[in-house]
Amino acid sequence: DEIGLIPCPEARYNRSPIVLVENKLGVESWCVKFLLPYVHNKLLLYRQRKQWLNKDELIDITCTLLLLNSDFTTAWNVRKELILSGTLNPLKDLHLGKLALTKFPKSPETWIHRRWVLQQLIQENSLPSLVTKGNLGAAPVERIHRLVQEEMNVCSEAAGRYPSNYNAWSHRIWVLQHLGKLTVKVLLDELSSTKYWVSVHVSDHSGFHYRQFLLKSLIGRTVTDNNVLVQNQMVNEQNPSLQKEEEGAGAEAACADEQSVDLPRRLEEELELCTELIDTYPGHETLWCHSDETLNNAHHSPATSHMAQVMDVDGLNESSSKQGYTQETKRLKRAPMQDSLGPEMEYRFIDKVLSTCRDADQARFATAYRKWLVTFLGQ
Amino acid sequence: MRLYSLSVLYKGDPKVHLLKAAYDVSTFNFFQRSSVQEFMTFTSQLIVERSELGSRASVKEQEYLCHVYVRNDGLAGVVIADNEYPQRVCFTLLDKVLDEFSRQVSKIDWPSGSPATISYAALDGYLSKFQNPRDADPMTRVQAELDETKIILVRR
Repeated sequence: DEIGLIPCPEARYNRSPIVLVENKLGVESWCVKFLLPYVHNKLLLYRQRKQWLNKDELIDITCTLLLLNSDFTTAWNVRKELILSGTLNPLKDLHLGKLALTKFPKSPETWIHRRWVLQQLIQENSLPSLVTKGNLGAAPVERIHRLVQEEMNVCSEAAGRYPSNYNAWSHRIWVLQHLGKLTVKVLLDELSSTKYWVSVHVSDHSGFHYRQFLLKSLIGRTVTDNNVLVQNQMVNEQNPSLQKEEEGAGAEAACADEQSVDLPRRLEEELELCTELIDTYPGHETLWCHSDETLNNAHHSPATSHMAQVMDVDGLNESSSKQGYTQETKRLKRAPMQDSLGPEMEYRFIDKVLSTCRDADQARFATAYRKWLVTFLGQ
Repeated sequence: MRLYSLSVLYKGDPKVHLLKAAYDVSTFNFFQRSSVQEFMTFTSQLIVERSELGSRASVKEQEYLCHVYVRNDGLAGVVIADNEYPQRVCFTLLDKVLDEFSRQVSKIDWPSGSPATISYAALDGYLSKFQNPRDADPMTRVQAELDETKIILVRR
């Protein structure tokens, strides 16, 4: 489940340099300068059609090469060809990639190849012949779900092995977009499962950026669902006879989704998390940036204005009299969520930090944050 | 944020020697672990050698921060952490550990002690408990006397 290089500059004993301990594979460093050029050369000769290698040999050689240097694109490409010709099970490459990432957690080529493999697997999923191939044997939805979970684990591991591992976190985002379809459930699950991780990696900018992506996606999701709701309501107005039918799947589903995402509450929680972490761990710029971004999202979120729109339409439907309408508009003008994420709270927080902190960096960040608030919010 | 090692040493004249240590190298690549541990033992010793009696310091070595406290009576403690782990909690930990150690292990044994001869078993427990600074030390902010002590950040 892990590979590594053993620092061992000279071969002292006449024995194999490969060490297997507790399911972890180690290679003594002295042999690398012999092994790597040898396999590298062999592969190049094959590619240049000067020397033939059969499928098994190719699999072995590329595997060795990639465990020594996982950014060797040609080796990954050879494996792509093997997968496309049906000789190599794509799941093997997911495993190989996972292993390579224990030693090279950033390796761009490994992540790129991984996405290619996942795309192959998704495409396979839509073909009816999948069931007989029996790669995983489970129903397609279940299969995708398991793939997504596994990818989340791999990303998390890699993120832990290298600080601010941009490649790992971008891959994570890609998986949610292409495999997870950015469902509300997936987004919320990810928010809760990464909360502890970011709390113990407070200067990992990529980790917090991921949470921003999750929140923005949730906002986008809520807008889409609200749009559906609004459209349905507008259709109802024009065609009262259709109203009963419209109260079917579309509007209800949108309603259900909207209800399960209390967006203002989520944003508030995120800001609370930031505040708590800033207080506990002074002097981490990442946390202040995250605060900026969250407040930015909250303020500019089209969801807040769209929600108001929905409420407005509701008002129109519920009471036909003009008096009723006026009452409804008064209600939504108070816009409760904007108050709770208001700048006053942030100013008070900054003042508290400045008056109690002793860390020079922390003071600098707090002052900068205040300047940003003033210019940005114009208050 | 992570703690990697916690050691108690004695700053004798002229030599510094290790009395007891605990390590957590589980986050390192499997095959690097023993050499990382050696590095930490060596660095801890070196830092105590270079520190004055009655001083506290935080020294940056590669991507680690080594927090050292050398008491006036020669007993010293070193915590090696990453750069996210809050400094104040480290010094709280060192105070606590050295205090307890000095009560459990008699002073006579310090100049000649070694990990094999010293019987003090609490280090592993402390290292593990303090991995999450919030669980371990809720009183982190109330450190008035600590802030009066000079803390030097040495960058190498």
